[in-house]
Amino acid sequence: MFEIGLHHYLLVSILLMSAGVGTILTKRNAIGILIGVELILNAAGVNLVAFNNFSWSGGAHGSSGVLGGPVIDGVVFTMFVIVLAAAEAAIALAIFLNFYNNHSSIDVTKADELKG
Amino acid sequence: MRTVFAGGFDSTMTDAQSTICCLLVTASLLPLISCVIVLFAGRWLKTAAGGFATAMLGVSVLLSLAAWFKWAGTDQSAIVWSIPWIPAGESWFYLGALVDSLTIAMMAMVTLVSTLVHLYSIGYMKGDPRFSRFFAYLSLFTFSMLGIVMSNSLMMIFVFWELVGLTSYLLIGFWFEKKGPRLACKKAFVMNRIGDFGFLVGFGILFCQVGANLMLPAAVTAPGNGESVAGGGVLTVYQALTLPAAQGGLGIDILNPPMWLTISGLGLFCGAIGKSAQFPLHTWLPDAMEGPTPVSSIVHSATMVAAGVYLTGRIYPILTPTAHLVVASIGLITLVMAACMALVMTDIKRVLAYSTLSQLGYMILGLGAGAWAFALFHLITHAFFKCCLFQCSGSVINSMHHEQDMRSYGGLMKKMPITAACYAVCTLAIAGASIPFLGIGISGFYSKDGIIAGTIAYGDAMQAIGGWSNLFWLGPTVIAYVTVFYMARSFALTFLGKSRDQAKFDHAHEAPWTMWLPQAVLAFLALFSALPMFRVLADITGAEQAMGIAYVQTVTELGHDSRAMHSTHAFLLHGFGWIIAGVAGVLIYTPGMTISSKIAALPVIRQLYTWAYNKFYFDALYDIIGVWLGKAIAKLAATVDKYIVDGLVNLVPLLGKGWAGFIREVDEKIVDASVNAAADIALAGGTALRSTQSGQIRTYVLGVFVILGIAGFTIFITMMLVH
Repeated sequence: MFEIGLHHYLLVSILLMSAGVGTILTKRNAIGILIGVELILNAAGVNLVAFNNFSWSGGAHGSSGVLGGPVIDGVVFTMFVIVLAAAEAAIALAIFLNFYNNHSSIDVTKADELKG
Repeated sequence: MRTVFAGGFDSTMTDAQSTICCLLVTASLLPLISCVIVLFAGRWLKTAAGGFATAMLGVSVLLSLAAWFKWAGTDQSAIVWSIPWIPAGESWFYLGALVDSLTIAMMAMVTLVSTLVHLYSIGYMKGDPRFSRFFAYLSLFTFSMLGIVMSNSLMMIFVFWELVGLTSYLLIGFWFEKKGPRLACKKAFVMNRIGDFGFLVGFGILFCQVGANLMLPAAVTAPGNGESVAGGGVLTVYQALTLPAAQGGLGIDILNPPMWLTISGLGLFCGAIGKSAQFPLHTWLPDAMEGPTPVSSIVHSATMVAAGVYLTGRIYPILTPTAHLVVASIGLITLVMAACMALVMTDIKRVLAYSTLSQLGYMILGLGAGAWAFALFHLITHAFFKCCLFQCSGSVINSMHHEQDMRSYGGLMKKMPITAACYAVCTLAIAGASIPFLGIGISGFYSKDGIIAGTIAYGDAMQAIGGWSNLFWLGPTVIAYVTVFYMARSFALTFLGKSRDQAKFDHAHEAPWTMWLPQAVLAFLALFSALPMFRVLADITGAEQAMGIAYVQTVTELGHDSRAMHSTHAFLLHGFGWIIAGVAGVLIYTPGMTISSKIAALPVIRQLYTWAYNKFYFDALYDIIGVWLGKAIAKLAATVDKYIVDGLVNLVPLLGKGWAGFIREVDEKIVDASVNAAADIALAGGTALRSTQSGQIRTYVLGVFVILGIAGFTIFITMMLVH
């Protein structure tokens, strides 16, 4: 078996990110865009965890974390990201609800009042 | 006989002299005060204005006569009183009075005649709506004339000269509602002005050569000698010209003068030509008869027209022999021409007007010929009888309901005896009537006789111009008879024979006392004024006078004594000539114009008659020269003004308009275009950039990611390169 290195994780992260960007750019449905945003956030989370494990003193190898335990900074940060993602999804949904009240549709191509 | 010069009333004058001066100056100013009062208070005085003005002038007469009596008591040296008046360079023009025998005589004459005319006007102008204004004008005229008489310098005489012309204009045009007086007063004033142009030329020449104090020479001794002067450091014109340089003069010899002296003398005489209606400028005087008769009697017979003669008399010492010749010639031409015209006129005032012209010609001829004292003596006697003649004619006109044509008169002797008597006396005076062989006569005799004697001497002295010099005495002698003839003609047509207009004749009546009294006084003076005047003349000529022998002072440089001349020609002058002419006139004209029209129908006489009747076509000539030419020049000037001057003036805005248009084009096409172009560029740029703002979220997101991607890629490349 080959060793799973950092780059594999980054590749997954890239794939996830690309999927997320592609979803945002191509979906007409507002919920679809939200799904894309979640994907990007989760890709960032994967990145964080990967680097947590493969850093100088991170992962299962190290023991220079808090109170002599392993370094789990990345993982904790990822927890933050997930919470923030949830909060941001709630707010986004509120915005889209308001948008639906005004336009009777959640098709983002209809949101062109800022057109110059 | 020395003279006294006084600046102000300084102590070099004796008491008597300063009294005389005061009296005369007051006498001159009284008419002015009268004029001002009548002008302003006329509305309340109404008819009393006449009496008031007459009374004021009466006081003037008394003052003048008082001055005369005092003058007889002094040594008769001339008094000059001057005050500096207008500064001119380093010297002054002077205002003041020059009092000598001539002034005294003239003052007495002018005030007396003026008072009598004022009295006459009360009757003549009765009922006229502008009654009081007439007296204001008359008094102003009298003041101006007295100013001329009293003048001591050429500048002062010029001021009063113009004033006299102005008042004459006002008086002639008094009835300005009618067309005739309007035209006549303008004509008089304009012709006066033409003469004044010559006066100013002469005045200017003297001013340049001699300086400003152009004091007139006093007639102390016979002018022509060197002693008619004023003292006290101010030279008269004569002194300033003739004294040698050491004494402040120019050292000119009057017998061999520089040309400019002749020209200046003639220039000053031009003023006299205009004022006294001499030959080229004579046509205004007959037309001036449009004015009321009192005006004719004072202004155009006695005083204003005499002002020209007076001026010539005053400047006499500076006239060169050439100027004398010109003066005499003009006088001669005038007197002959006017007498011819008077022969054929039918309007009584016109006859008298031409008679005045003729007599003025006598006076000017006398001055030119050297009979200075007699010319001025004739001026004074002529004033009396001509004024009386005009007043008589005014009475006749008034009583015949303003009919002036003598062809409608006749037989008025029965209705107006006093007027007829005065007229007869004055006709004899103008004829120079005398008792033959005795040498005693009416005043006109002495004066006219003296002039003729002077012209005889002049004719002899002027042999240099050959046979023509005889004209100088032939003319006046022959015309003397013509004068008698036409005056007798007018007397016969008016007063003798049968009435030719019965209707008017029935209404005719004698004039009121205010009108016949002045006439009578003047006729009396015409008869008897010779004696006292002669005495005054004796003082002027400085030689003894004897009744019946006329002493004439010729141009003294030629040293000719005409006494002998006079006695040989005495027969002609004192003889029967005037009787024959007078009787002929009366006989021919008593039955009206019937006999005369037969005579006038004869071929040669008819042609002469037509010429004379049309006043020798002078009016037509002056109409062309003056009026037509003047209008043509005015039209030419108007055309130039309209097309050239206005064209130029209008061109300037056109240029401005063109320039403004050009600037506007620049403004629109260049400046505005560039500003608009900038805006258009901004708009295009904005429109172009605007397309990026599609409002689509996904486009914006894509943009963000693209930029992030590029940025990240660049950082990656940079880091690779760094390591």
